[in-house]
Amino acid sequence: MVTVELDDIRKTYGDETAVEALDLTVADGEILGVVGPSGCGKTTTLRTIAGFETPTAGRVRFADEDVTHVSPERRNVGLVFQSYALFDNMSVLANVAFGPKMQGVEKAERRDRAVELLELLDIAELADRAPETLSGGQQQRVGLARALAIEPNILLLDEPMTGLDAKLKDRLRREIGSLLDELGVTALYVTHDQEEAMAMCDRIAVLNDGRLEQVGTPREIYESPANEFVAGFVGSANLLDAQLDDGTVDLGFTRLHAVTDDTSGDATVVVRPDDIAVGSGSIPVTIREYQYLGETTSAVGELPDGQQLRLRLNGTAEETTVGTTVSVAIDPDGVAVVDTA
Amino acid sequence: MSTTTWFELSAARDTLTPETERDRRRRRILVLCAPFLVLAAVAAFVPLATMIRMSVSADRFANVGFSVSAWRTLATDPLYRRVAVNTLWFAAATSAVSVTLGVAVSHAFAKYSLPFERVLVSVVSFPIALPGIVVAFMVVALLGRQGLVTNAVAFFSGQGPIDLATATTVTGLFVGYVYSLLPRATMVLRGTYAEVNTDAEQAARALGADPLRTFYYVTLPEIRPGIVAASLLTFRTALAIFGTVLVLQGLNVATLQISQVLSVGYESQIAASIGLVYFAFILAVTFVGLRYTEADVIRR
Amino acid sequence: MTTLRTPQSLGKAAITLVTGLVLAVLVVPIAVTFVSSFAQSATGVVPTGFVTAEHWRTALGLTDVGARRGIGSGLWFSVLLATGGMFVNLVVGVPIAYALTRYEFRGREWLNTLAVLPLVPGIILGIAFLRTYPDNAGTAFGLVVGYALLKSPYMVLTVQSAFQSMDLRRLEESARSLGASWPRTFVTVIVPNARGGILAGSIITWTLAAAEFNFTYMVYTRGPRPFSLFLYENISRAPFLQSAAAISIYFCLVVAAILVLQTVGRHGFTTT
Repeated sequence: MVTVELDDIRKTYGDETAVEALDLTVADGEILGVVGPSGCGKTTTLRTIAGFETPTAGRVRFADEDVTHVSPERRNVGLVFQSYALFDNMSVLANVAFGPKMQGVEKAERRDRAVELLELLDIAELADRAPETLSGGQQQRVGLARALAIEPNILLLDEPMTGLDAKLKDRLRREIGSLLDELGVTALYVTHDQEEAMAMCDRIAVLNDGRLEQVGTPREIYESPANEFVAGFVGSANLLDAQLDDGTVDLGFTRLHAVTDDTSGDATVVVRPDDIAVGSGSIPVTIREYQYLGETTSAVGELPDGQQLRLRLNGTAEETTVGTTVSVAIDPDGVAVVDTA
Repeated sequence: MSTTTWFELSAARDTLTPETERDRRRRRILVLCAPFLVLAAVAAFVPLATMIRMSVSADRFANVGFSVSAWRTLATDPLYRRVAVNTLWFAAATSAVSVTLGVAVSHAFAKYSLPFERVLVSVVSFPIALPGIVVAFMVVALLGRQGLVTNAVAFFSGQGPIDLATATTVTGLFVGYVYSLLPRATMVLRGTYAEVNTDAEQAARALGADPLRTFYYVTLPEIRPGIVAASLLTFRTALAIFGTVLVLQGLNVATLQISQVLSVGYESQIAASIGLVYFAFILAVTFVGLRYTEADVIRR
Repeated sequence: MTTLRTPQSLGKAAITLVTGLVLAVLVVPIAVTFVSSFAQSATGVVPTGFVTAEHWRTALGLTDVGARRGIGSGLWFSVLLATGGMFVNLVVGVPIAYALTRYEFRGREWLNTLAVLPLVPGIILGIAFLRTYPDNAGTAFGLVVGYALLKSPYMVLTVQSAFQSMDLRRLEESARSLGASWPRTFVTVIVPNARGGILAGSIITWTLAAAEFNFTYMVYTRGPRPFSLFLYENISRAPFLQSAAAISIYFCLVVAAILVLQTVGRHGFTTT
C-alpha cells in the first residue's frame, strides 16, 4: 500500500473539461471517499489513477514515483466495479487467482492466496462455482477478493454497492469497511451516495463540475461545509442569509452568539435540521408541508421573513398539521458560515 | 517542415510507440481492424477498381486501351432499359410481399402460442442457409412438371401436368424470390417484435381499442423501424439473387444478363459496367436506407 | 353451445392461416425433396416405390453411372474451402467485431456498414476476380479469399451480438488492472467469454461457404469441382429424383449445423 497523489490534474475531451486543477492525496492506509453528482468528474478521477485515462495535464504519483504514463496493467491497482465484471469463463477461484497468475506467482501459491481471501470474505464454499450462478452480494465479494489478490497499491471502488438492496448494502458496508481497515488498504471509494461515503471513509472529497470543492473528514464536511454546494450535497441543510458582526450572527428574525471568526458583513450560513429544536425556542415557524417517515417526521416551515426552513418534528407529529405554528430554537454551535460577501 | 506534416508525423509516432492511454487505444483499434482491411483491400477494393478499368477496356480479355462503347451500349440499347425495369420492379414487388407476409408470421410468433414453436422457428430460418440454386429446386418441387402442386392440380382438373407447370415462368420465379426473402424479413421482424412494448398494447386494449386498431395505432408504429430494415434487407438481397434466376429463368434481370453477356461472346466490358452500376445502386440504396432507418430510430 | 365469431378471432384466424400457409410453402418442398430422394418414381401426385437408396448412392458417387460424375472429391474440396474461409473469417471477423463494439473512433459507422453488410454480390465479385487475379481466381486460394469476403458479415454480426451482451469495457479494464497486458486480456478473457457467438459465427459462415454458388460459378474453370457446382449440375441436368438426393446431402449438412447452433443457444441461421 502506498500514498497516491494527484497533482494539478486536468482532463479534457475535446472542448469538454471533465476535471480541472485537481489536487488530491490518498494517504497510505486511508479510505478516501469521492462524492458528487453524476458528471462531476469522480469516475474520471478513479480512471486516471487506474491508468485508463491519461490526464491532459498534471501528474499521478504512487509513493513519489511518477506513473502518469504507465499503462494500467503495470500499476498494480485493484478495481471493483458496480457491475462486478467477473470473468464468466472461469470459476470463482480462478477469478481470484487471475491477478497473481498474471504476476507470475506459481500455481500452488496463487491457489493458497485465493483460498485465503475467499475465507476472509466468508465465501470459501463458493470457490468452484461459476460466477453467473452467484447472487449480487456474493459476486461483489468475489470482485473484492479478486482485486485484493494482487495486493494492490491502491484499491479503487467504483460505486460498488449501487444496485444491491438496502439491507444487504447495510451489511456489506459494515463488513467491507472493517475488512479494509483491518487490512490497512489504501482505497478510493467513488459513490454518488454521500451517506455511504460518510459511513465507510476516513476522509471525503466532494467534487462538483470537475472541481474539488472540499476534502476533509466526514465530520468536517458535514459540520463545516466549505461552501453552499457542499452544505447542500452532504445531508439536508438550510441556507440562510445572515449579517456577521464580531461573533454574532444576525439572521434577521434572531441573533445568535455563534463562534465565527471576526469577519463582518453579509454572509450565508448553514443550519442543519438536527440543530433546530422544535417546541423550545422563541422563533415562530408555520408548517407548510410535512412527511411522516416513521423514525422521524421531516417538515418544511416558513419563517417570519418568508424564508423556508427544513426541520424535524420528532415526537410532535400527532399535534402538527399544515398551518400550525411551532416555536423553534437554533443551536448556535450548529451554525456554520459557508459564504461571506 | 510545415506544421501539418510535423503534426502528422508525431501522430504516427505516437501510434507506434504510445505514451498515453489514448494512443495505446488508437494502436489497438488499428491492430484489430487491420486483418479486415487487408481482406477488404485484396478481395473487394482492388477487384472493384480493376472492374472499373475493365469496363472501359478496348479488349475483351485484358485491360488494354480505352473505349466507352460498353457504357454507350448500356445507356442506349433498349434491352438494358428493359433489364433495369425488370430487375427493379421484381425486387420491389417480391420484397413488399415478403415483408408483408413476414409481419403476419412474426405477429403470429409473438402474439399467439403456436405449437412446437422452437421447431417452427427453425423451419422459418432454414431457407436462409439455402443457396439460390437449391431454392430454385424447391420451386421445381412445388410447381415444376413433377412438382407436388402441379400434379395435385392436374389430378383434380384432369389437365396434363406439363401444361400446368409454372416453375420456369415469372410466377415460379416470384415464388422462388419470396422463398429466399421471407425468412430474412421474418428474422428481422421477429427481433423487432421482441422489443414491442406489450404494456402499451394492453393499455390500448384496456382503453377500448379493438385488436385491429391496437395494431394500427400502437404495434405498427413500434415495428416500423423493423419494417424499414426488413424492406431494405430484402430489396438488397433480391437484387443480388442469381442462382435462382439462372435455373428458373422466367425473367431477364440484371444478374442473368451479366452471365449471358459473358457466356455469349464474352463481352466482359458490358458485364463489368452492369456490375458497376449494380454495385453503385446497391450501395446507394443501402446508405439512403441506413440514413432513413437511423432517422427513424432517432424520431422514436 | 355456439361460439360467437368476433372480429378479434377472425383476425387471429386469418393471421394464423397465413402463417400456416407460409410455413407449409417453406417446409413442403424441403420434405418432398428429402422424401422423394428415397423413392423409385416421382410421376403422379406423390412419389412412389419406397425405400431405395439408389439415388443417394448415385449422388454420393458410389455407383458408376456412365459419364455423370458423383460428388466424388468435390465435397471434400468444398469442405476444405469452407473451412479455410471460416478460419480467415475468424482472424478477420472477431477482432473487427471487437473494435466496432468496444471502441468509439472516427469512421466507425462507415467501417461498421462495410463489415456487416454484404455489399458486393457474389456474381459481381466473381467477374472482378477473373480480371484481377486471372491465374488464381478459380484456385483454392481465390475461392477461399472470395468466400471469406462474401461470408464475413455473418461472422462479424454474430460475434458482435455476443460482444454486445458483455460488459466489454469493464471486463477489459478488470483484467488489465490485474496485470494482464491487452493482447493477453483479449485472448484469455474476451474471446473465451464470447465463445458461443464465435462458434455460432463459424458454423454459419462455414455452412454458407460450403454451398456458395454465385461466385463459384463465375470463377470456376478447372480442377476439383466444388460442391455447389455439383448441386447445380444435378439441378439443371439430372433426373428429378437424383437431384433430390444431391440436395438432400446439403439438407443434412444444414440440419447438423442448426442442431449444433441450438446447443450453443441460438435459434438457427441469422443473417442481415
